[in-house]
Amino acid sequence: MDFGFSDEQREVRDLARRILGEQVSPRSLQAYDEYAAPRFDEDLWRALLDAGLPGVAVAAQWGGMDFGFLELALFIEEVGRGIAPVPAIQHCVGGMLPLQRFGSAAQRARWLPAAVSGELLLTAALTETGNDWSRAPRCVTARRDGDTLCLRGRKSAVPFAAQADLVLLPAALEGGDDVAVVLLDPRGAGVTLLPCESTSFEPQAHLQLDNVRVPPEQVLVGRGGAAAMAWLAERMCAALCAHQLGAADAAMRMAASYTGERQQFGVPISTFQAVGHRMANCYIDVECLRLATYQACSLLHDEQAAALETRIAKVWAGDTGHRVSYATQHVHGGTGIDRDYPLWRYCLWLRHNEMTLGGSGFHLAAIGEGLAGGQGLFA
Amino acid sequence: MKLQFTAAQLALRDELRAYFRELMTPALAAECERDMGEGGGPLWREALARMGRDGWIGLGWPEALGGRGLSPLEQFIFVEEVMRAGYPFPFLTTESVGPILAEHGNDWIQREIVPKILRGELLIAIGYSEPGAGTDLASLKTAAVREGDGWVINGQKMWTSLAHFCDYTWLAARTDPEAPKKHKGISMFLVPNNDPGWSCTPVHTLGGVRTNATFYDNIRVSDDHRVGELHGGWKLITSQLNRERLSLINFGPSAELFNATVRWARDSALPGGGRVIDQGWVQLNLARCRALIECMKLIVYKQSWAMTEGTLEMADASAAKVYGSEAFIELYRLLGEVVGQAGLLRDGDGCDSARRLERLYRAASIITFGGGTNEIQRDIISAAGLWMPRASR
Repeated sequence: MDFGFSDEQREVRDLARRILGEQVSPRSLQAYDEYAAPRFDEDLWRALLDAGLPGVAVAAQWGGMDFGFLELALFIEEVGRGIAPVPAIQHCVGGMLPLQRFGSAAQRARWLPAAVSGELLLTAALTETGNDWSRAPRCVTARRDGDTLCLRGRKSAVPFAAQADLVLLPAALEGGDDVAVVLLDPRGAGVTLLPCESTSFEPQAHLQLDNVRVPPEQVLVGRGGAAAMAWLAERMCAALCAHQLGAADAAMRMAASYTGERQQFGVPISTFQAVGHRMANCYIDVECLRLATYQACSLLHDEQAAALETRIAKVWAGDTGHRVSYATQHVHGGTGIDRDYPLWRYCLWLRHNEMTLGGSGFHLAAIGEGLAGGQGLFA
Repeated sequence: MKLQFTAAQLALRDELRAYFRELMTPALAAECERDMGEGGGPLWREALARMGRDGWIGLGWPEALGGRGLSPLEQFIFVEEVMRAGYPFPFLTTESVGPILAEHGNDWIQREIVPKILRGELLIAIGYSEPGAGTDLASLKTAAVREGDGWVINGQKMWTSLAHFCDYTWLAARTDPEAPKKHKGISMFLVPNNDPGWSCTPVHTLGGVRTNATFYDNIRVSDDHRVGELHGGWKLITSQLNRERLSLINFGPSAELFNATVRWARDSALPGGGRVIDQGWVQLNLARCRALIECMKLIVYKQSWAMTEGTLEMADASAAKVYGSEAFIELYRLLGEVVGQAGLLRDGDGCDSARRLERLYRAASIITFGGGTNEIQRDIISAAGLWMPRASR
């Protein structure tokens, strides 16, 4: 058992922290508020790509750093700490990981090096309105026409759909309960992007598919896609947890520092126990999120079973995000909600991560079902 | 980073689990039950001596001090398994005061006390709190006055748990009433509980567990019985409390109780058909408990790991204590709802989880204030963990 980081892990984290620390600031984030511009800092993304960070978990033969999921999660934690306007989770976890894991030799050779270098941007369309089960798509169906799949239906709130070159997308195969996973060209015939505005200002669009023909070379998983989507959903959840961890930690430290400086009745307000204790609760929550997240990521890193541990981490991501968001706003008083002060954007992202791919209730229900079904006891 | 046990650690856990399964005979379990999970009975003592003979006491102490030199992590695996087995292990003696005596004790202590602790033949109670000194412990009034080459001790202690069957009290006494800072005038003593000036009256608590008020009436001890530096007791007290805090939060018994409750809910039929666990609210309660205990596990493992590495942060030790103590209370409520009315019955009416929960919920509150009240722990967290300026006291 080892709770420490290896030298390589520290290097990845420090490299990400340095680049993001230099290039992300309240002023740079301000440019994207209220969708004044698409929330995608391409210069920053280029700097991260040049440092090799998005390809941290991709094999060396495709140009990656050849590390694993833990190193990737540490990179994403830093993205969360800065709530940086880059598509790190979508491109790295939603796109490259399943491509590397499930892609044919030809698909990997064709797309992975380009994804690592950044010529190609990937994203994933995982959820449908009213359906957080990415492994059981209902709203998009696929009909086989020889080798080609014809897709119809709608995916909602697909991140970076307008910016991406390929969208990983699960569809229910007609005439059965199987699932296919494709890599769709969002600019192809029959695809309509309907922009939508989300709470976090993340660039998103609904994807309307009208008889979209997907050739075999763009089918990632032709049959049995539900298992592949479950594999991906675990990693996406763990990545959201890592992002949440960085964001919650940053919000908490902002509030700790603010309360140490803000004076009322002639003393810093941190000296009031009521304030200090609320922050101590945040500290404990963030620590729980940290440990649960690292546990899930370390299991996923080793390709071990991690369904339960990932759900537990996502429950903590929801609970911690919610509590830290409101506690930090509260101890800041009006400053916390003032858009001239940086905290408010963190609150948006804490909510985004909390509710994306299932909130605490969703995952608790799944854990409970597992317990009823004979799983989940302590060893 | 790897948050799973190594093969050697798993093997140690399995070895211990098998060992305790054999050690905990039904007769011993019944005796422990009778003694409200405190121990002190003849079978309990016999089992402790056997653990001593088998080398299971002090396994985390340095080899030079008579231990096995295993890391705090392995020591923690031991404590967890012993607690899980339901044996009231005297960790205050073996894990908390013992190592401090081994490290700081004089020749007499090394010769007479430490070996007996390792053999499971000597038990120590802790005498810190007084009627007027709780959270503000440094204001304690029990006094040790130099007389000839020894000391005369007078005073009263509160909440001296286990004292009625312990051999010694690890006693904090004021040796310098003139010290400008009150915590700099305190020294530590080992006071024999068989001294005629030592007496004890029981205090019965909500949980059914007995604790004590203890009285020290002109007790004379030689200077051998003083531990560590003169007036330097505060350092030993805080070091002991840090160790105690680590032993307070055990995830093993909670995991065991959780498993038992889930199994019961799986096996119990509802009057209208289906099982107890088929109900949505039961699944939700159990899932919440699962997530709570998982983090309890990770927090205590991380602590043990940090101790092994020598990097344990004060804020994290306090966070573990606050989280664990409050999680216990939450667990006993959520699991109590699952077992329902049976959880109000002393014998659980055939449901073993219910029987345990009936007692646990009554005893749970002790840890939110015992071992350093959670308010003080939260002060420590915000100051040491988040660098927030705090009020002076």
